[in-house]
Amino acid sequence: MTTYAVSTPLPEFGLWNQLEGKGIPVSFDLELTARCNNDCRHCYVNLPAADRDARAGELTLDEIVGVADQAVELGALWCVITGGEPLLRPDFSEVYLALKRRGLLVTVFTNACLLRPEHVELFRKYPPRDVEITIYGASRGAYERVTRTPGSFDAFLRGVSLLEQGGVGARYKAMALRSNVNELSAMAQFGRAHTKDFFRFDPLLHLRYDRDPVRNAEICAERLDPEEIATIEQSDEERAHALRRECHRVAGQEAPDEPDLVFHCGVGQGFTVGYDGSLRLCSALWHPDYVADVRREPVAAAWRRLLAAAGAARTADPAYLDRCAACGLVDLCLWCPAHAYLESGSLTAPIDDFCDVAHARARVFGDPDAEGYGAGVRPNS
Amino acid sequence: MSRAPKESELAVGLSVSRDAVYKPSDDLVVREIDGQIIIVPIGSGIGDLEDELFALNDTARVVWAKLDGAHTVSSVVDELARQYAAPAEQIDADVVGLLEELLKRRMVVAV
Repeated sequence: MTTYAVSTPLPEFGLWNQLEGKGIPVSFDLELTARCNNDCRHCYVNLPAADRDARAGELTLDEIVGVADQAVELGALWCVITGGEPLLRPDFSEVYLALKRRGLLVTVFTNACLLRPEHVELFRKYPPRDVEITIYGASRGAYERVTRTPGSFDAFLRGVSLLEQGGVGARYKAMALRSNVNELSAMAQFGRAHTKDFFRFDPLLHLRYDRDPVRNAEICAERLDPEEIATIEQSDEERAHALRRECHRVAGQEAPDEPDLVFHCGVGQGFTVGYDGSLRLCSALWHPDYVADVRREPVAAAWRRLLAAAGAARTADPAYLDRCAACGLVDLCLWCPAHAYLESGSLTAPIDDFCDVAHARARVFGDPDAEGYGAGVRPNS
Repeated sequence: MSRAPKESELAVGLSVSRDAVYKPSDDLVVREIDGQIIIVPIGSGIGDLEDELFALNDTARVVWAKLDGAHTVSSVVDELARQYAAPAEQIDADVVGLLEELLKRRMVVAV
Protein backbone atom coordinates (compact mmCIF):
# COMPACT_ATOMS: atom_id res chain seq x y z
CA MET A 1 0.00 0.00 0.00
CA THR A 2 1.34 3.41 -0.96
CA THR A 3 2.13 5.93 1.81
CA TYR A 4 1.77 9.44 0.47
CA ALA A 5 2.56 11.59 3.49
CA VAL A 6 5.55 9.98 5.15
CA SER A 7 5.80 10.69 8.85
CA THR A 8 9.26 10.52 10.33
CA PRO A 9 10.52 11.12 13.88
CA LEU A 10 12.47 14.37 13.93
CA PRO A 11 15.90 12.89 14.70
CA GLU A 12 15.55 10.53 11.74
CA PHE A 13 14.30 13.12 9.31
CA GLY A 14 16.57 12.89 6.28
CA LEU A 15 16.55 16.61 5.66
CA TRP A 16 19.31 17.25 8.19
CA ASN A 17 21.84 15.21 6.23
CA GLN A 18 20.55 16.59 2.96
CA LEU A 19 21.20 20.19 4.06
CA GLU A 20 24.72 19.61 5.39
CA GLY A 21 27.29 21.77 3.66
CA LYS A 22 24.74 23.66 1.58
CA GLY A 23 24.89 26.88 3.56
CA ILE A 24 21.27 26.55 4.68
CA PRO A 25 20.76 27.48 8.33
CA VAL A 26 18.78 24.59 9.80
CA SER A 27 18.08 26.52 12.96
CA PHE A 28 18.37 29.90 14.56
CA ASP A 29 18.20 31.23 18.10
CA LEU A 30 16.27 34.34 19.00
CA GLU A 31 17.42 36.07 22.17
CA LEU A 32 14.27 38.08 22.83
CA THR A 33 15.84 40.02 25.67
CA ALA A 34 19.02 40.13 27.72
CA ARG A 35 16.95 41.06 30.77
CA CYS A 36 16.04 38.51 33.39
CA ASN A 37 13.89 38.31 36.52
CA ASN A 38 16.77 36.44 38.18
CA ASP A 39 20.35 37.58 38.73
CA CYS A 40 22.23 34.28 38.49
CA ARG A 41 25.87 34.34 39.49
CA HIS A 42 27.02 32.30 36.52
CA CYS A 43 24.93 33.91 33.78
CA TYR A 44 26.71 35.09 30.65
CA VAL A 45 23.86 37.32 29.46
CA ASN A 46 21.53 38.64 32.13
CA LEU A 47 20.79 42.29 32.72
CA PRO A 48 18.30 43.55 35.31
CA ALA A 49 14.63 43.12 34.41
CA ALA A 50 14.12 46.88 34.72
CA ASP A 51 17.15 47.85 32.61
CA ARG A 52 15.66 50.65 30.48
CA ASP A 53 18.48 50.84 27.95
CA ALA A 54 18.41 47.11 27.34
CA ARG A 55 14.65 47.18 26.95
CA ALA A 56 14.75 50.15 24.59
CA GLY A 57 17.26 48.36 22.39
CA GLU A 58 15.22 45.17 21.99
CA LEU A 59 13.92 44.18 18.60
CA THR A 60 10.24 44.98 18.20
CA LEU A 61 7.65 42.36 17.37
CA ASP A 62 7.64 43.57 13.74
CA GLU A 63 11.42 43.35 13.55
CA ILE A 64 11.38 39.84 15.01
CA VAL A 65 8.74 38.75 12.51
CA GLY A 66 10.88 40.24 9.75
CA VAL A 67 13.89 38.22 10.93
CA ALA A 68 11.77 35.07 11.12
CA ASP A 69 10.45 35.60 7.58
CA GLN A 70 13.99 35.96 6.27
CA ALA A 71 15.19 32.92 8.22
CA VAL A 72 12.31 30.84 6.86
CA GLU A 73 13.12 32.05 3.35
CA LEU A 74 16.68 30.77 3.88
CA GLY A 75 15.29 27.36 4.87
CA ALA A 76 15.41 27.46 8.67
CA LEU A 77 13.10 24.95 10.29
CA TRP A 78 14.06 25.17 13.93
CA CYS A 79 13.93 28.20 16.22
CA VAL A 80 14.99 28.48 19.86
CA ILE A 81 13.44 31.34 21.82
CA THR A 82 15.81 32.29 24.59
CA GLY A 83 17.05 35.28 26.55
CA GLY A 84 17.64 36.53 29.23
CA GLU A 85 14.25 35.34 30.27
CA PRO A 86 11.99 35.46 27.20
CA LEU A 87 8.80 35.48 29.26
CA LEU A 88 9.73 38.99 30.43
CA ARG A 89 8.63 40.23 27.04
CA PRO A 90 4.98 41.31 27.26
CA ASP A 91 4.57 40.26 23.62
CA PHE A 92 6.04 36.79 24.18
CA SER A 93 2.82 35.06 23.07
CA GLU A 94 2.62 37.11 19.86
CA VAL A 95 6.24 36.33 19.04
CA TYR A 96 5.75 32.64 19.77
CA LEU A 97 2.63 32.35 17.65
CA ALA A 98 4.18 34.31 14.78
CA LEU A 99 7.09 31.85 14.69
CA LYS A 100 4.74 28.86 14.82
CA ARG A 101 2.61 30.27 12.02
CA ARG A 102 5.69 30.46 9.81
CA GLY A 103 6.17 26.71 10.07
CA LEU A 104 9.05 26.82 12.52
CA LEU A 105 9.61 24.16 15.18
CA VAL A 106 9.88 26.33 18.26
CA THR A 107 11.79 25.51 21.45
CA VAL A 108 11.51 27.80 24.47
CA PHE A 109 14.28 28.16 27.05
CA THR A 110 12.96 29.54 30.33
CA ASN A 111 13.55 29.53 34.09
CA ALA A 112 9.79 28.87 34.48
CA CYS A 113 9.39 31.54 37.18
CA LEU A 114 7.20 33.81 35.05
CA LEU A 115 4.99 31.11 33.53
CA ARG A 116 1.32 32.01 33.75
CA PRO A 117 -1.83 30.02 32.88
CA GLU A 118 -2.10 31.86 29.55
CA HIS A 119 1.36 30.61 28.54
CA VAL A 120 0.35 27.06 29.40
CA GLU A 121 -2.86 27.43 27.41
CA LEU A 122 -0.83 28.77 24.47
CA PHE A 123 1.52 25.76 24.64
CA ARG A 124 -1.44 23.38 24.87
CA LYS A 125 -3.08 24.83 21.80
CA TYR A 126 0.10 25.37 19.82
CA PRO A 127 2.63 22.87 21.17
CA PRO A 128 6.29 23.86 21.28
CA ARG A 129 8.88 21.44 20.01
CA ASP A 130 10.39 21.65 23.50
CA VAL A 131 10.26 23.69 26.64
CA GLU A 132 13.62 23.55 28.42
CA ILE A 133 13.78 24.62 32.05
CA THR A 134 16.93 25.25 34.05
CA ILE A 135 17.09 24.15 37.68
CA TYR A 136 19.36 26.24 39.90
CA GLY A 137 18.98 24.33 43.15
CA ALA A 138 16.87 21.66 44.81
CA SER A 139 16.25 23.74 47.94
CA ARG A 140 15.21 27.36 48.38
CA GLY A 141 18.61 28.12 49.93
CA ALA A 142 20.74 26.87 47.05
CA TYR A 143 18.34 28.02 44.34
CA GLU A 144 18.20 31.58 45.61
CA ARG A 145 21.92 31.60 46.42
CA VAL A 146 22.40 31.20 42.66
CA THR A 147 19.55 33.43 41.43
CA ARG A 148 20.03 36.10 44.11
CA THR A 149 16.30 36.70 43.81
CA PRO A 150 14.07 36.17 46.85
CA GLY A 151 10.90 34.28 45.99
CA SER A 152 12.36 32.78 42.82
CA PHE A 153 12.33 29.19 44.14
CA ASP A 154 8.61 29.30 44.87
CA ALA A 155 7.99 30.96 41.49
CA PHE A 156 9.98 28.17 39.80
CA LEU A 157 7.98 25.44 41.55
CA ARG A 158 4.75 27.25 40.65
CA GLY A 159 5.76 27.37 36.98
CA VAL A 160 6.69 23.68 36.93
CA SER A 161 3.38 22.82 38.54
CA LEU A 162 1.40 24.94 36.06
CA LEU A 163 3.01 23.16 33.11
CA GLU A 164 2.38 19.75 34.59
CA GLN A 165 -1.24 20.51 35.46
CA GLY A 166 -1.69 21.72 31.90
CA GLY A 167 -0.17 18.56 30.45
CA VAL A 168 2.72 20.40 28.79
CA GLY A 169 5.89 18.33 28.93
CA ALA A 170 9.21 20.01 29.59
CA ARG A 171 12.86 19.02 29.61
CA TYR A 172 15.00 19.91 32.61
CA LYS A 173 18.66 20.82 32.82
CA ALA A 174 21.00 22.27 35.40
CA MET A 175 24.31 24.03 35.74
CA ALA A 176 26.70 22.55 38.30
CA LEU A 177 28.10 25.51 40.23
CA ARG A 178 30.10 26.15 43.37
CA SER A 179 26.88 27.55 44.89
CA ASN A 180 24.75 24.47 44.24
CA VAL A 181 27.16 21.55 43.78
CA ASN A 182 26.17 20.03 47.11
CA GLU A 183 22.64 19.62 45.75
CA LEU A 184 23.54 18.29 42.33
CA SER A 185 22.22 14.80 42.98
CA ALA A 186 18.97 16.22 44.41
CA MET A 187 18.67 18.51 41.37
CA ALA A 188 19.19 15.53 39.09
CA GLN A 189 16.55 13.61 41.00
CA PHE A 190 14.11 16.50 40.61
CA GLY A 191 14.95 16.89 36.93
CA ARG A 192 14.55 13.20 36.14
CA ALA A 193 11.28 13.03 38.09
CA HIS A 194 9.77 15.90 36.11
CA THR A 195 11.36 15.76 32.66
CA LYS A 196 9.48 14.55 29.62
CA ASP A 197 12.52 12.66 28.34
CA PHE A 198 15.93 13.25 29.86
CA PHE A 199 17.83 15.45 32.30
CA ARG A 200 21.31 16.79 31.77
CA PHE A 201 23.67 19.01 33.70
CA ASP A 202 26.58 21.10 32.55
CA PRO A 203 29.58 21.94 34.74
CA LEU A 204 31.37 24.14 32.16
CA LEU A 205 30.93 27.89 32.40
CA HIS A 206 32.00 30.38 29.78
CA LEU A 207 32.32 34.11 30.33
CA ARG A 208 29.90 36.92 29.64
CA TYR A 209 29.03 38.32 26.26
CA ASP A 210 29.37 41.90 27.53
CA ARG A 211 32.82 41.10 29.01
CA ASP A 212 31.81 42.77 32.31
CA PRO A 213 34.90 42.13 34.51
CA VAL A 214 32.97 42.10 37.79
CA ARG A 215 30.42 39.59 36.50
CA ASN A 216 33.18 37.54 34.87
CA ALA A 217 34.92 37.26 38.24
CA GLU A 218 31.66 35.97 39.70
CA ILE A 219 31.45 33.34 36.96
CA CYS A 220 35.03 32.23 37.59
CA ALA A 221 34.22 31.88 41.28
CA GLU A 222 31.38 29.49 40.38
CA ARG A 223 33.61 27.22 38.29
CA LEU A 224 34.32 23.83 39.81
CA ASP A 225 37.83 22.36 39.87
CA PRO A 226 38.70 20.02 36.97
CA GLU A 227 39.06 16.93 39.17
CA GLU A 228 35.83 17.84 40.96
CA ILE A 229 34.03 18.07 37.62
CA ALA A 230 35.31 14.66 36.53
CA THR A 231 34.32 13.17 39.88
CA ILE A 232 30.74 14.44 39.81
CA GLU A 233 30.42 13.36 36.20
CA GLN A 234 31.64 9.92 37.22
CA SER A 235 29.00 9.75 39.94
CA ASP A 236 26.20 10.36 37.42
CA GLU A 237 25.63 7.12 35.56
CA GLU A 238 24.13 8.66 32.40
CA ARG A 239 26.80 11.30 32.09
CA ALA A 240 29.62 8.87 32.85
CA HIS A 241 28.34 6.54 30.14
CA ALA A 242 28.17 9.40 27.62
CA LEU A 243 31.69 10.57 28.50
CA ARG A 244 33.17 7.07 28.24
CA ARG A 245 31.57 6.78 24.81
CA GLU A 246 32.91 10.21 23.80
CA CYS A 247 36.42 9.32 25.02
CA HIS A 248 36.28 6.16 22.95
CA ARG A 249 35.18 8.20 19.91
CA VAL A 250 37.88 10.86 20.21
CA ALA A 251 40.54 8.21 20.72
CA GLY A 252 39.72 6.80 17.32
CA GLN A 253 39.34 9.98 15.33
CA GLU A 254 41.79 11.30 12.78
CA ALA A 255 43.80 14.50 13.14
CA PRO A 256 42.27 17.41 11.20
CA ASP A 257 43.43 17.78 7.58
CA GLU A 258 43.77 21.55 7.88
CA PRO A 259 44.86 22.36 11.44
CA ASP A 260 45.29 26.06 10.66
CA LEU A 261 41.55 26.48 10.10
CA VAL A 262 40.19 28.52 13.00
CA PHE A 263 36.68 27.04 12.99
CA HIS A 264 36.61 23.24 13.28
CA CYS A 265 33.36 23.39 15.22
CA GLY A 266 29.80 23.13 13.99
CA VAL A 267 29.65 26.78 12.99
CA GLY A 268 27.51 27.22 9.91
CA GLN A 269 24.50 25.14 10.92
CA GLY A 270 22.56 28.17 12.09
CA PHE A 271 22.79 31.58 13.64
CA THR A 272 21.76 33.61 16.65
CA VAL A 273 19.92 36.92 16.59
CA GLY A 274 20.46 38.92 19.75
CA TYR A 275 17.91 41.12 21.48
CA ASP A 276 19.52 44.16 19.88
CA GLY A 277 19.56 42.77 16.35
CA SER A 278 23.11 41.44 16.40
CA LEU A 279 23.48 38.38 14.19
CA ARG A 280 26.21 35.87 15.10
CA LEU A 281 27.13 32.50 13.67
CA CYS A 282 26.66 31.06 17.14
CA SER A 283 25.42 32.48 20.38
CA ALA A 284 28.88 32.90 21.95
CA LEU A 285 30.77 34.15 18.88
CA TRP A 286 31.17 37.86 19.61
CA HIS A 287 34.37 38.57 17.70
CA PRO A 288 33.52 41.68 15.65
CA ASP A 289 34.56 40.01 12.38
CA TYR A 290 31.65 37.61 12.83
CA VAL A 291 28.88 39.90 14.08
CA ALA A 292 26.32 41.59 11.83
CA ASP A 293 23.30 43.78 12.53
CA VAL A 294 19.92 42.74 11.14
CA ARG A 295 18.75 46.34 11.44
CA ARG A 296 21.36 47.32 8.85
CA GLU A 297 21.81 44.24 6.69
CA PRO A 298 19.38 41.60 5.40
CA VAL A 299 19.63 38.30 7.24
CA ALA A 300 20.59 36.32 4.12
CA ALA A 301 23.40 38.72 3.21
CA ALA A 302 24.72 38.79 6.78
CA TRP A 303 24.52 35.00 7.10
CA ARG A 304 26.40 34.37 3.86
CA ARG A 305 29.01 37.05 4.56
CA LEU A 306 29.81 35.77 8.05
CA LEU A 307 29.74 32.13 6.94
CA ALA A 308 32.26 32.87 4.19
CA ALA A 309 34.47 34.77 6.63
CA ALA A 310 34.44 31.92 9.15
CA GLY A 311 35.15 29.32 6.46
CA ALA A 312 38.17 31.28 5.26
CA ALA A 313 39.62 32.05 8.69
CA ARG A 314 43.08 30.56 9.19
CA THR A 315 45.73 31.18 11.79
CA ALA A 316 49.48 30.93 12.18
CA ASP A 317 49.26 31.38 15.96
CA PRO A 318 51.81 28.87 17.29
CA ALA A 319 50.06 28.65 20.66
CA TYR A 320 46.96 27.35 18.88
CA LEU A 321 48.75 25.18 16.33
CA ASP A 322 50.93 23.53 18.97
CA ARG A 323 48.16 22.94 21.49
CA CYS A 324 44.44 23.08 20.60
CA ALA A 325 44.82 22.31 16.88
CA ALA A 326 47.07 19.39 17.75
CA CYS A 327 44.99 18.10 20.65
CA GLY A 328 42.87 15.00 20.24
CA LEU A 329 40.92 15.86 23.36
CA VAL A 330 39.49 19.11 22.08
CA ASP A 331 36.03 17.55 21.83
CA LEU A 332 36.09 16.92 25.59
CA CYS A 333 36.89 20.57 26.15
CA LEU A 334 34.83 23.76 26.34
CA TRP A 335 37.42 25.28 24.05
CA CYS A 336 36.20 26.74 20.79
CA PRO A 337 37.15 29.99 19.06
CA ALA A 338 34.11 31.78 20.50
CA HIS A 339 34.82 30.78 24.10
CA ALA A 340 38.53 31.48 23.65
CA TYR A 341 37.62 34.99 22.50
CA LEU A 342 35.39 35.58 25.52
CA GLU A 343 38.21 34.45 27.84
CA SER A 344 41.17 36.15 26.22
CA GLY A 345 40.18 38.44 23.36
CA SER A 346 41.78 36.01 20.90
CA LEU A 347 39.97 33.39 18.85
CA THR A 348 42.94 31.05 18.98
CA ALA A 349 44.27 31.34 22.54
CA PRO A 350 44.44 28.05 24.46
CA ILE A 351 42.53 28.35 27.75
CA ASP A 352 44.18 26.49 30.60
CA ASP A 353 41.03 26.12 32.70
CA PHE A 354 39.22 24.36 29.84
CA CYS A 355 42.29 22.29 29.02
CA ASP A 356 42.57 21.03 32.58
CA VAL A 357 38.96 19.81 32.53
CA ALA A 358 39.45 17.95 29.24
CA HIS A 359 42.53 16.19 30.59
CA ALA A 360 40.81 15.35 33.88
CA ARG A 361 37.95 13.82 31.88
CA ALA A 362 40.35 11.83 29.73
CA ARG A 363 42.08 10.48 32.86
CA VAL A 364 38.79 9.39 34.42
CA PHE A 365 36.80 8.23 31.40
CA GLY A 366 39.43 7.34 28.80
CA ASP A 367 40.79 3.89 28.07
CA PRO A 368 44.37 3.89 29.41
CA ASP A 369 45.36 1.36 26.76
CA ALA A 370 43.87 3.29 23.85
CA GLU A 371 46.19 4.34 21.07
CA GLY A 372 45.56 6.99 18.46
CA TYR A 373 45.12 10.66 17.91
CA GLY A 374 42.65 11.34 20.70
CA ALA A 375 44.40 9.04 23.13
CA GLY A 376 48.00 9.94 22.58
CA VAL A 377 48.29 13.62 21.75
CA ARG A 378 48.18 15.59 24.96
CA PRO A 379 50.59 18.44 24.34
CA ASN A 380 50.27 20.11 27.72
CA SER A 381 50.05 17.09 29.99
CA MET B 1 -3.27 16.46 23.69
CA SER B 2 -5.71 16.09 20.86
CA ARG B 3 -8.36 18.62 20.00
CA ALA B 4 -11.94 17.73 19.20
CA PRO B 5 -12.60 17.20 15.51
CA LYS B 6 -14.36 20.01 13.71
CA GLU B 7 -17.92 19.48 12.60
CA SER B 8 -16.92 19.29 8.93
CA GLU B 9 -14.42 16.56 9.76
CA LEU B 10 -16.97 14.54 11.71
CA ALA B 11 -19.36 14.73 8.77
CA VAL B 12 -16.72 13.44 6.38
CA GLY B 13 -15.06 10.92 8.69
CA LEU B 14 -12.33 9.04 6.88
CA SER B 15 -14.33 8.38 3.73
CA VAL B 16 -13.54 10.62 0.83
CA SER B 17 -16.44 11.91 -1.21
CA ARG B 18 -15.65 12.64 -4.82
CA ASP B 19 -18.09 15.55 -4.73
CA ALA B 20 -16.40 17.12 -1.73
CA VAL B 21 -13.96 20.02 -1.80
CA TYR B 22 -10.93 19.89 0.50
CA LYS B 23 -8.34 22.37 1.60
CA PRO B 24 -5.29 22.23 3.88
CA SER B 25 -6.03 22.67 7.57
CA ASP B 26 -5.31 26.09 9.03
CA ASP B 27 -3.40 24.27 11.78
CA LEU B 28 -0.41 23.42 9.62
CA VAL B 29 2.15 25.10 7.43
CA VAL B 30 3.57 23.58 4.30
CA ARG B 31 7.25 24.33 3.80
CA GLU B 32 9.49 23.64 0.84
CA ILE B 33 13.09 23.27 1.98
CA ASP B 34 15.78 22.25 -0.48
CA GLY B 35 13.19 20.66 -2.77
CA GLN B 36 11.39 18.70 -0.04
CA ILE B 37 7.76 19.45 0.80
CA ILE B 38 7.31 19.28 4.55
CA ILE B 39 4.11 19.59 6.53
CA VAL B 40 4.71 21.29 9.88
CA PRO B 41 1.81 21.04 12.34
CA ILE B 42 1.06 24.26 14.23
CA GLY B 43 -1.81 23.24 16.46
CA SER B 44 -2.19 20.24 18.71
CA GLY B 45 -3.81 17.07 17.40
CA ILE B 46 -2.29 17.25 13.92
CA GLY B 47 -0.58 14.04 12.89
CA ASP B 48 -0.03 11.01 15.05
CA LEU B 49 2.75 12.30 17.25
CA GLU B 50 4.06 15.76 18.01
CA ASP B 51 7.61 14.57 17.54
CA GLU B 52 7.26 13.92 13.83
CA LEU B 53 7.45 15.78 10.58
CA PHE B 54 5.64 14.81 7.43
CA ALA B 55 7.13 14.79 3.96
CA LEU B 56 5.06 14.33 0.83
CA ASN B 57 6.14 11.84 -1.82
CA ASP B 58 6.23 12.90 -5.49
CA THR B 59 2.65 11.82 -6.19
CA ALA B 60 1.35 13.52 -3.06
CA ARG B 61 3.09 16.79 -3.94
CA VAL B 62 1.22 16.97 -7.24
CA VAL B 63 -2.13 16.19 -5.63
CA TRP B 64 -1.54 18.50 -2.67
CA ALA B 65 -1.05 21.46 -4.99
CA LYS B 66 -4.60 20.90 -6.28
CA LEU B 67 -6.27 20.90 -2.85
CA ASP B 68 -7.16 24.56 -3.04
CA GLY B 69 -10.56 24.57 -1.42
CA ALA B 70 -12.22 25.35 -4.75
CA HIS B 71 -12.24 22.12 -6.76
CA THR B 72 -14.06 18.85 -6.07
CA VAL B 73 -12.14 15.62 -5.80
CA SER B 74 -13.59 14.52 -9.16
CA SER B 75 -12.40 17.66 -10.88
CA VAL B 76 -8.94 17.27 -9.34
CA VAL B 77 -8.77 13.70 -10.69
CA ASP B 78 -9.96 14.86 -14.13
CA GLU B 79 -7.43 17.66 -14.27
CA LEU B 80 -4.56 15.38 -13.25
CA ALA B 81 -5.70 12.81 -15.84
CA ARG B 82 -5.41 15.52 -18.51
CA GLN B 83 -1.93 16.48 -17.32
CA TYR B 84 -0.43 13.04 -16.78
CA ALA B 85 -0.28 9.88 -18.84
CA ALA B 86 -1.22 7.59 -15.95
CA PRO B 87 -4.52 5.65 -16.10
CA ALA B 88 -7.45 7.57 -14.59
CA GLU B 89 -8.10 4.69 -12.15
CA GLN B 90 -4.56 5.02 -10.78
CA ILE B 91 -4.89 8.77 -10.43
CA ASP B 92 -8.24 8.38 -8.68
CA ALA B 93 -6.72 5.83 -6.29
CA ASP B 94 -3.78 8.14 -5.54
CA VAL B 95 -5.96 11.18 -4.88
CA VAL B 96 -8.37 9.28 -2.65
CA GLY B 97 -5.53 7.44 -0.91
CA LEU B 98 -3.74 10.67 -0.09
CA LEU B 99 -6.93 12.37 1.11
CA GLU B 100 -7.71 9.44 3.40
CA GLU B 101 -4.26 9.77 4.97
CA LEU B 102 -4.58 13.51 5.32
CA LEU B 103 -8.09 13.32 6.80
CA LYS B 104 -6.96 10.73 9.30
CA ARG B 105 -4.25 13.11 10.41
CA ARG B 106 -6.56 16.17 10.30
CA MET B 107 -4.29 17.79 7.75
CA VAL B 108 -7.13 18.67 5.36
CA VAL B 109 -10.69 19.74 6.01
CA ALA B 110 -13.76 19.63 3.84
CA VAL B 111 -14.90 23.07 2.76
